Amino acid sequence: MSLTAIPPISARRRRTDKVMRGSLFAATIIALIPLVLVIYYLLYKGFSSWSSKFFTTDPNGNFLGYPGGARSAILGTLEIVGLATLISVPIGIAVALYLTEYGRQSLPANIVRYFIDVMTGVPSIVFGLFIYIVLVLGKVGGTGFAGWKGAVAVSLLMLPVVTRSSEVVLLLVPASLREAALALGAQRWRVVTRIVLPTARTGLVTGSLLAVARGMGETAPLLFTTAGAFALTGNLNSQMNALPLQIYNDILSPRAEVVNRAWGAALTLVAMVLILNLIARAISRRSSLA
Amino acid sequence: MISRDTTSKEATDMSTAGGPSEQKDAKDEAPDTSAIGVREGEGHAIQVKGLKAFYGKQEAIRGVDIVFPPNEVTAIIGPSGCGKSTMVRCINRMHEEIPGAHAEGSVTLDDLDVYGAGVDVTSVRRLIGMVFQKPNPFPTMSIFDNVAAGLKLTGTKSENLRETVHRSLRAVGLWGEVKNRLNEPGMGLSGGQQQRLCIARTIAVEPEVILMDEPCSALDPVATLKVEELIDELKERYTIVIVTHNMQQAARVSNTTVFMLDGELVEHAPTQEIFTRPKDERTERYVTGKFG
Amino acid sequence: MQETRHSFREALKQLEVQALGGLDLVITALDRALEAVSYQDVELAGMVVADDDLIDGRYLEVHQGILSLLALQTPVATDLRIVAALLHVIRCIERMGDQCVNIAKLVPLSGYESPKDKDILDAIERMGQLARSQLSQAKEAFASRNVGLAQDLVRQDTEINRLNREIFRRAVEIGDDVDTREWAMFMILVARCLERVGDNTVDIAEQVVFVVTGLFREFADASHPA
Repeated sequence: MSLTAIPPISARRRRTDKVMRGSLFAATIIALIPLVLVIYYLLYKGFSSWSSKFFTTDPNGNFLGYPGGARSAILGTLEIVGLATLISVPIGIAVALYLTEYGRQSLPANIVRYFIDVMTGVPSIVFGLFIYIVLVLGKVGGTGFAGWKGAVAVSLLMLPVVTRSSEVVLLLVPASLREAALALGAQRWRVVTRIVLPTARTGLVTGSLLAVARGMGETAPLLFTTAGAFALTGNLNSQMNALPLQIYNDILSPRAEVVNRAWGAALTLVAMVLILNLIARAISRRSSLA
Repeated sequence: MISRDTTSKEATDMSTAGGPSEQKDAKDEAPDTSAIGVREGEGHAIQVKGLKAFYGKQEAIRGVDIVFPPNEVTAIIGPSGCGKSTMVRCINRMHEEIPGAHAEGSVTLDDLDVYGAGVDVTSVRRLIGMVFQKPNPFPTMSIFDNVAAGLKLTGTKSENLRETVHRSLRAVGLWGEVKNRLNEPGMGLSGGQQQRLCIARTIAVEPEVILMDEPCSALDPVATLKVEELIDELKERYTIVIVTHNMQQAARVSNTTVFMLDGELVEHAPTQEIFTRPKDERTERYVTGKFG
Repeated sequence: MQETRHSFREALKQLEVQALGGLDLVITALDRALEAVSYQDVELAGMVVADDDLIDGRYLEVHQGILSLLALQTPVATDLRIVAALLHVIRCIERMGDQCVNIAKLVPLSGYESPKDKDILDAIERMGQLARSQLSQAKEAFASRNVGLAQDLVRQDTEINRLNREIFRRAVEIGDDVDTREWAMFMILVARCLERVGDNTVDIAEQVVFVVTGLFREFADASHPA
């Protein structure tokens, strides 16, 4: 009984393998460097401005003395993005449901899909300008700049993201489940609400959270719609502050404390996005373990 | 998740039992269809006349006439693509869920014209249940909720939901294995148990006919035999049509066998005849494996 | 590409050849047994008895083959009918072998002197020829699945039965000589064995019809008048 001789790996092959691995590794390092630098800078510059006053006082616009914290900005971001989420997530999921359950591959559905894809590519500033012209200039709702108008602009941004990710998740729901429900004599809308949506629930939540994280960081739409203010206000029908706006305003200031505040705000923003991402991951991991 | 085999020590919870005949054995419980309760009326027959089915322009069924007798198991056999799955899906109008698909001809359940104008398709599907090839319990629901799903999804008010669920589980022989974990996810059961769960779900809405599309294809031999036993019991209460590509299964389980080829009905005869002396040459060739 | 279930078809064909080959063994045994009777050849008779082991062996082989095929290949429809028929046929063959042995065993018993009555002997010879032709015809009918040929066997069997009755009548009227009477009685037994052989070939013929039509019908013959 003879053993089949397997030729040993050639030196050339070994070299090629090493070269490939080396270059992939190098590319990874190159990609990671800016990310690491960003985080380092954020922490280095921003951490020092974090204090209890930072989180509990509003920017006060004074030329001298403590310039104030970023409370109104944080709360403003939460309010604006919160409203944007309330608008974009239900509508986005509804559009996704239309695309997967009713429209499927029909012409109207494909047209909708095309437009949604286009929307993901539209620069956020364009949404801001659009809302500026339609809502701000027209003084809709009695005011010029307003928090809720900023929320609308951000929701336009979030909508295609929610729709896209929701459609993917809904398509992952096996057709056999829909079939089983239909075969039991259920009407289509009941199949959707009782079977499809619950099954896709975690995926929809993670998709929405990621859209929210995106929406939080957008500056441009808010510039033309909310414009920013210093005072803390809960009135969405007035000008409001938001973290991106705060950063925009502060970073060019000659005063070091104000610039510091900008870094602190940036760090806060990143921290919020990070927390959202972690929550999204935790949810999806829990669902895959079930 | 592997399901634990519940061997005997169980606390029989008599308060949840309810059914007239309570079986104590956990491991190999025989299905108890008498637990479903007395139903008045004779069996229900399905009559198919001139059925044609299309996928777009392509004709999958070319005009079939057949009667499925009440309280019997009729097996439909034939090579891949002969139209057997399409045929059963035309009976409960699941065929129309496929985009571009439509059917012509008539299908009647007793006196009800399934395709009649103004007939609500969801009512038809409540009367004609279906079990699929791959067990498909709803993943977000517990065992209990899965069985109750049919009732909840159709908005049927059931006086005693618990009673109905327990009865259905007993009828498929699952009660002993799951009665202590009704709130656990349905997906935690083994393949064979999942399929029986799906059957319980189907009979919980009290259909008159049960259609089965290759129900044992995804199951191991032991689970297969359990399901076949169940089918044998269920025919006392329901009319059953089973599509199968396993000829031996058709031989074991059915009273009548139908052989289809290229969208046509070739032969329709008592199972014993089909497998000992088929009349049509094509049937003979198929069952003896002489094709090709 | 080979036809599907090629090895199964081969195995079934082989089994049939084996089973029908048993008929050839019976023909040989019958020829020898009858020759032994005609010429009072005790040695030849002994050979017939010994060679019955071959027929029994063939029975066991075919039986085993049938079990194998049933267990491993689950034949249905025509294939199943062939297998069931072969089981029946090989039983008939085994029985016919035993009948030849019975004939052979009668040879030394009928005395070492020459046979006594020419009529009876002729009749026996005639019966033997008929039985032989029935055996060949049964084999041909089964192998070619010829229903007409199978049904014809009944006609020949009627003739054998008639000869059997005639031999009996002749033996009763044979006369007073003790030795002759004794010989005649043994000849009655031989005739009966031959008649049995004939019945068995009719059984085989019935199996032919079963294989072809799927229906089992007893042929009208002497024991089952139409």
